Amino acid sequence: MKPSMLKNATLGAGLAMSVALPTVAVADEINVVLFAMPYTQGLAKLEADFEAATGHTANIEVIGQDVFENRITLSFTGQTGDVDVVHTPVIQVQRWIEAGWLRPITAEVDGMATKDDILAGPLDAYLVNGDRWALPFFAETGMMAYRTDLLAAAGYDAPPATWDEMLEVAAAVKTDQVGALAMRVAPGQGFNMFVFPMIMRAYGGAFFTDYSGGDLTPNMNTPEALAGLEVYSQLMNDYGPEGIGNFNFGEVAASIQSGQVAMIVDGTSIAARALDPEQSQFADQISIAAVPSGPAGRSPAIAVHGLGIPADAPNPEASFAFIEWATSAETLTKIALSEPYPDFIRASVAENPEVVAKYEGIHPDFLNLKVEMLGDAIGHYRPLLPQWPEIGQIVGENINAAVNEIMSNEDALAQSDADIADIMSE
Amino acid sequence: MGVQTLFQRSYNQMLMPAVLAVIIFAVLPLVGMFGLSFTDFNLIKGWGGEVGLHNFFKLADDRRFIASINVMLMLSVGGVIFQVVMGTLIAVGLEKIVPRWKFMRGIFVVPFVVPAIAVALIWLSLFTPTLSPINAFFDIFGITVPAFLTTQYGAIAAIVIADTWASFPFVMLLILAALQGISSDLDEAASIDGATKMQIFWRITLPLLKPALLMVALFRFIETLKHFPLIFVMTNGGPGRSTQATNYYAYIQTFQSSNVSYGAAIAVFLFLFAAIISFYVARANARISGA
Repeated sequence: MKPSMLKNATLGAGLAMSVALPTVAVADEINVVLFAMPYTQGLAKLEADFEAATGHTANIEVIGQDVFENRITLSFTGQTGDVDVVHTPVIQVQRWIEAGWLRPITAEVDGMATKDDILAGPLDAYLVNGDRWALPFFAETGMMAYRTDLLAAAGYDAPPATWDEMLEVAAAVKTDQVGALAMRVAPGQGFNMFVFPMIMRAYGGAFFTDYSGGDLTPNMNTPEALAGLEVYSQLMNDYGPEGIGNFNFGEVAASIQSGQVAMIVDGTSIAARALDPEQSQFADQISIAAVPSGPAGRSPAIAVHGLGIPADAPNPEASFAFIEWATSAETLTKIALSEPYPDFIRASVAENPEVVAKYEGIHPDFLNLKVEMLGDAIGHYRPLLPQWPEIGQIVGENINAAVNEIMSNEDALAQSDADIADIMSE
Repeated sequence: MGVQTLFQRSYNQMLMPAVLAVIIFAVLPLVGMFGLSFTDFNLIKGWGGEVGLHNFFKLADDRRFIASINVMLMLSVGGVIFQVVMGTLIAVGLEKIVPRWKFMRGIFVVPFVVPAIAVALIWLSLFTPTLSPINAFFDIFGITVPAFLTTQYGAIAAIVIADTWASFPFVMLLILAALQGISSDLDEAASIDGATKMQIFWRITLPLLKPALLMVALFRFIETLKHFPLIFVMTNGGPGRSTQATNYYAYIQTFQSSNVSYGAAIAVFLFLFAAIISFYVARANARISGA
């Protein structure tokens, strides 16, 4: 054999091996990218269970939400094929579908023996254009947590039922040492835009003229939305703890866990943390209540998260095996028992005596209240549009500017309408 | 073939890996960025073809972009002034006033080796009133420390303070090196002639430090144009858009609004801005050094 032929043969063999080896590795190893929340942190501890159940191994990577979005965008646009299962928030799913980043899993989901055990609302949140794009693992809704001792000391035996009452109670509860109410104010579609619509919608405000009817004319610059924003700004500025203008969910949770505020309105997972004696200094003096209502009713926040398969995932069968295992009643039950995770999406888990005992032990009304709040929530609490991440970011900045008194409330809403119009026209 | 030619050839060959590395890792991405800025590429909508200078004309009309330049300049100019003043004062102090405290150099350098994300987390907790030990301390005396991160200029000041803490050691080290290059004979001669320590500093040391100060200010200015971790972690660009510097705005356009080409146009602007500033500073430096 001539030296050049030998060289070419060696190179060819090397190239063939380099192509073949990753294929073999990918068949057995599932790379899962998730962002941090009690369910995902619990799931990461169960990698060995997945291997025992399926024979595959899973590398579960749990990262911060902001970092996750950049990491996954780069992976999707680069078509790197390095992610087999991806955390799929329902709020992003329309954008990802439009970009062609997700693989439909309609046949796989419809073929599941336990599909009917999954709550229909969260399951159908991923039904877009007639296809299913992810399986849910989490359906969080809004909830209030409050300090019974501080409200009692201010002369209130019950938490505020409306946002107007909240203003009154907050004024009575606020002291130099303790803020009355903490909510997310940091700008972002998953930050202040997770909580602000609870107040805006309670006063009759909306993002669009008639979202359900298909009229997507921006409609935030209305007296109703203004009334909601005025209440939100006043509650945060006059009765919130110092520095509330930059609070995100971490600071909100920490503020009630450490006794620096009397009330919070946030998601159920944050309320569960406030009630957890291992995480909260005042857990035995904290109770929970419904999200306050307004003249237009009650509109608790809702967030659904699921697991999807990227379009470029090299081994979709193994990916779906992971998703099926990760959202199975057995896995969800384990996590519900080990973590503060009351947001499971299977009816059988909600009926599991151990799970019921745990959450009734935290608070007797927890599961019932969660179901009530889910019933009050509207699916398009945050509009389910491909443009939402961009709209949520820019409107969140305007609302944050208003709360921090950089813009007037009126200007913030007018600017939001103009910004939404710009985005929708592109 | 002469020895000189052989030497030149081997010199070129040895240089080739470095040249290739620069071309692959610096020049090509830069060319790609320039190329993207003349197109319409959106992560969601895909390829929209070439658009010439459209993205740059759009920049001129973009209020958020113009506001981001103001934020960037406030962060950069404020940061550079504080870092240069603080770094220079400490360097002069350690070298000229209390030389027996030289061991302090190691301590002062510590913030410089802390990763940017950790710096941001440290200062985020210090500026969050409910988490801050500073607030807790002043609360004992009934003094309320204002919440920096919730006001427009407070948030900018907070980022400048955090950046100054992390970056003044760089200035200090370079100025220390420059000070060691100034002959002590000059100080002694001035002292014999009756000059005070302040006069020596203002009339001799500082003028001789000018080239070093100019270069270190340029380095820091270019670095501060790239502010990102501090903004990302401490403020998310808020309150409102008060701390959305230009490169953070490029990130928002690219990753949150999916406008990759527009984000590239902003990056091109930043590159040209830094290049022009560098050119003028280098020219000024040459003039000072030559004088």
